[in-house]
Amino acid sequence: MRKILVFMLGALTSLCVSMGAMAQVKEIRVLLANHPYGDLLKSAIPEFENATGIRVNVESLQESQLTTKLTTEFATNSSSVDVFMTRPLQEGKMFYKNGWYEPLMTYDFSDYPKNVMSVSTFGQKSYIVPLVTEWQVLYYRKDVFKEAGIKVPTNFTELEAAAKKLNSDSLAGIASRGKGAAAVTQASSYIYNFGGLYLDKGVAVFNSKPAIDALRFYGKLLGNYGPKGVTSMSWENIMPLFQAGKVAMWTDASVFYGQIIDPAKTQVSAENVGIANFPAGPKMNSPFIVTSWGIAVAKQSKNKDLAMRFLEWATSKELAAKGMLANITMARSSVWEDPAILAKVNPGLVETRAYAAKFGNPLDRPYMSAVGEARDLIGELIIESINTRGASANLEKMAKEKVAKVNEILEDTGEYGK
Amino acid sequence: MKKKLVSTIFFYLLVTGIALVVLFPFVWMLASSFKTQVDIISWPPKFIFSPTLQNYQKVFGEQDFLKYFFNSTIIGAVSVGLSLVLGLPAAYSISRYAQKKLAVFILLARLMPGISFLMPWYIVFSRLNLMDSYVALILSHMLISLPIVVWIMSTYFSTIPREMEESAMVDGATRQYAFFTIILPLSGPGIITATTLSFIFSWNNFMFSQVLSMEKTKTLPIAVYNFVSYAEVDWGGVMAAAVAIMAPAIVLTMIFQKYVVKGLTMGAVKG
Amino acid sequence: MAQSSFTERNLRILFPLPAIIFVALLMIFPVLYTLFLSFTNWNLTSGAPFSFVGFKSYARVLAEPRFLHALSRTFAFTFFAVVIEGFLGVAIAIILNRAFVGKSVAKLMLLLPLVATPVAVGIVFNLFYDPTIGLANFMLQSVGLPQGLWISSSATVIPSLILVDVWQWTPMITLIVLAGLAGLSEEPVEAARVDGASEWQILRYVTIPMVMPVILTAVILRLIDALKTFDIIFAMTGGGPGYASETLNILGFKYSFEYFRMGQSSVILVVLFLVVFACSLGIMKLRAASET
Repeated sequence: MRKILVFMLGALTSLCVSMGAMAQVKEIRVLLANHPYGDLLKSAIPEFENATGIRVNVESLQESQLTTKLTTEFATNSSSVDVFMTRPLQEGKMFYKNGWYEPLMTYDFSDYPKNVMSVSTFGQKSYIVPLVTEWQVLYYRKDVFKEAGIKVPTNFTELEAAAKKLNSDSLAGIASRGKGAAAVTQASSYIYNFGGLYLDKGVAVFNSKPAIDALRFYGKLLGNYGPKGVTSMSWENIMPLFQAGKVAMWTDASVFYGQIIDPAKTQVSAENVGIANFPAGPKMNSPFIVTSWGIAVAKQSKNKDLAMRFLEWATSKELAAKGMLANITMARSSVWEDPAILAKVNPGLVETRAYAAKFGNPLDRPYMSAVGEARDLIGELIIESINTRGASANLEKMAKEKVAKVNEILEDTGEYGK
Repeated sequence: MKKKLVSTIFFYLLVTGIALVVLFPFVWMLASSFKTQVDIISWPPKFIFSPTLQNYQKVFGEQDFLKYFFNSTIIGAVSVGLSLVLGLPAAYSISRYAQKKLAVFILLARLMPGISFLMPWYIVFSRLNLMDSYVALILSHMLISLPIVVWIMSTYFSTIPREMEESAMVDGATRQYAFFTIILPLSGPGIITATTLSFIFSWNNFMFSQVLSMEKTKTLPIAVYNFVSYAEVDWGGVMAAAVAIMAPAIVLTMIFQKYVVKGLTMGAVKG
Repeated sequence: MAQSSFTERNLRILFPLPAIIFVALLMIFPVLYTLFLSFTNWNLTSGAPFSFVGFKSYARVLAEPRFLHALSRTFAFTFFAVVIEGFLGVAIAIILNRAFVGKSVAKLMLLLPLVATPVAVGIVFNLFYDPTIGLANFMLQSVGLPQGLWISSSATVIPSLILVDVWQWTPMITLIVLAGLAGLSEEPVEAARVDGASEWQILRYVTIPMVMPVILTAVILRLIDALKTFDIIFAMTGGGPGYASETLNILGFKYSFEYFRMGQSSVILVVLFLVVFACSLGIMKLRAASET
């Protein structure tokens, strides 16, 4: 009996050893998002494997599934992920606080603008390499504007007038996200331009007069001139409408430009699609310009050297240039200064980026670790405002409650007033 | 005679009506999968259009659907097979000895909200080095199929008269011998019904696979959901992917269905 | 011989034992883990290690209006979905329980919604319900009815989701009940017919009572899944617009994977489990009563 036990123990040990030996093979696990740049990386990975001999196990996931998976793996302390794509504004603070990002001490960040780096740096260390930048723009239908004889709006008064004039049974005057939490990012530029903010120095302030005015304006625009059912619409619902020619103007992030001028996907011909700077508000014009995606090394990684090599390659200038040619708006500064690249990028993107980079706000949502919950709370205000076409008598009261709740969450997480 | 004709016509109208309601979403999905994005988003909806294969090219070209299909099949088949091995004797015992509490215990597995399994299983399976292996997914899917098998089969066994095995036992056979040689051969229809249902539940499971599967073991529902990717809703592609998920299951259903019908009529002639 | 008699004597333990061990192994840790977490304040967004807070997380969740709404919404969704599916499912089974040309084709069609992957079904119905380009509004328009907002409005989202659930799961009840009907002995029906009972009376007083255990089995399976409906709501509305289609399961998922409040999400999951347990127990009592 004892002999059998010893034998089994021996077999088990040798099994463990051989498994350990298998781990010695140069191999890393990489999680990417379903995002044009993720796709680009995925297709380029064989080159990396051939050049380095490192085997890359790559997995692409839809963005919320990616967060679910990363959180499950990290929180249960059982992750085998080495490198992963990450959304700095959505999960950055939380991942940092839990110590899930490896500090990138050797990486050269000099090619990234300072305001971009502000969301990937905590204390003295940087943890995320920015990949993709997005900013808010106004998409519009050139043909519809021409027919109606109006100019592209440059401020909110003109925006409302144009939406009113163009709105008809078969055409929505304007569209923007109305689906609660998803709308928070797109409403942010409206709030900034009215002179408001979501958070100010770690305190919720979206019940200020300018913020409420902005929320009312947003509700009035979408409630009166928006598409049917706008309170359940995110970009994935609005884009097909724009492509079907059912929307005259659309304010959203710059990433969708490629899709709405793609003739295989749209009934509106490319020359009829315009892109313009986000209109100015009563106080200023400061649309958001944010790092939507970055890439990081997992603290739990057991192959950090290999992981760093992959990260260096995945964020290289060469791949960034490739991204630009595929209409992906990269975060590196140098690719926006290279005339050879700029010649091939759509001028509308170049111009609106220059504007947003100069005047824009680097945040498009309340920047806190419990951002998901805060977005849902603010989303309630947006839905209320749209449902009442901006005339809700309850909005101030609701905003006060939501501000108190967000502040409570900030206190829970130790971020209040910081 | 006339009355009978009217009632027959009425009956067939009724059946046709049911069929239309049932089939309609499939037809619409199939039609949309052959449409371009432009045709899908046009209003009024296009009923006549020139079909395109581009969505299918996209699904099979850009996604490794055959692999995901293989994964779903293996996981479904093995987990249902093992559930039958464990579940049939249990169901027999529950039916013959009226073990109600036992039935409730096995049913408990179905009562638990799936989300509450995700983190704990992840901890266990990763400590056992079973992540990205079929084992983790098969075990988790068995928790779906086993209760179905036990519940359907315990009901089914109850419809088989006790005299069937008791007469054999009078002749000296043991109860377990009677179970394997007399009861099980009579249970084909029930087993096929249970198998069909539990395989379907496994095939379609989204939640467990979402967390427990990795690239090598990714199943079809995850692949389809993945298709709704970051920068676009590609309606045509999603519809094609949905068709690709359902087509093999429908073919299997057609094969199984003959057995189901045969089994049902057999049972109907005298239990 | 002695061995076989041991097996035979203990068959009632030996036969179900492997299944019991399996279920216990897979469930014990998750159950304990969830229960354990529900007494902590574990919150990943705070980045702090968790501590025990007793029933504090319970108190906080149970006092939350959003939770109470989700609870009543879960009941409403389940009640209407299962009742409609039960009646329709049994009715269709009774209609189809006769010999007719094309019966096998009809049965095959009934199997199809069951085979359909819920996530994919959700996406297909999203296109169907789309207020601007969807077929649902086109159908309303062509018969001269006003267009609806379907899942885009808080007022209609739950009925719209119930419709999808009914479409997909009524056939399951039909299938199980058909199997039950086919297994019935003909004698009581024949006897009733000889006694001069009408078809309706035979149905009402002979057939349905005989097949009642099977119906209730089908209803239990349906009830459990309806209470825990996740895939369809997740793929179609994610709980929206606002919180209008947020059920307990969706809320639990959000608390876990969007808010990362692990302690509080465990409370929601414990409550959901208790709800499912209580409802199933109720129906099982009915089933037991119908068998005697």
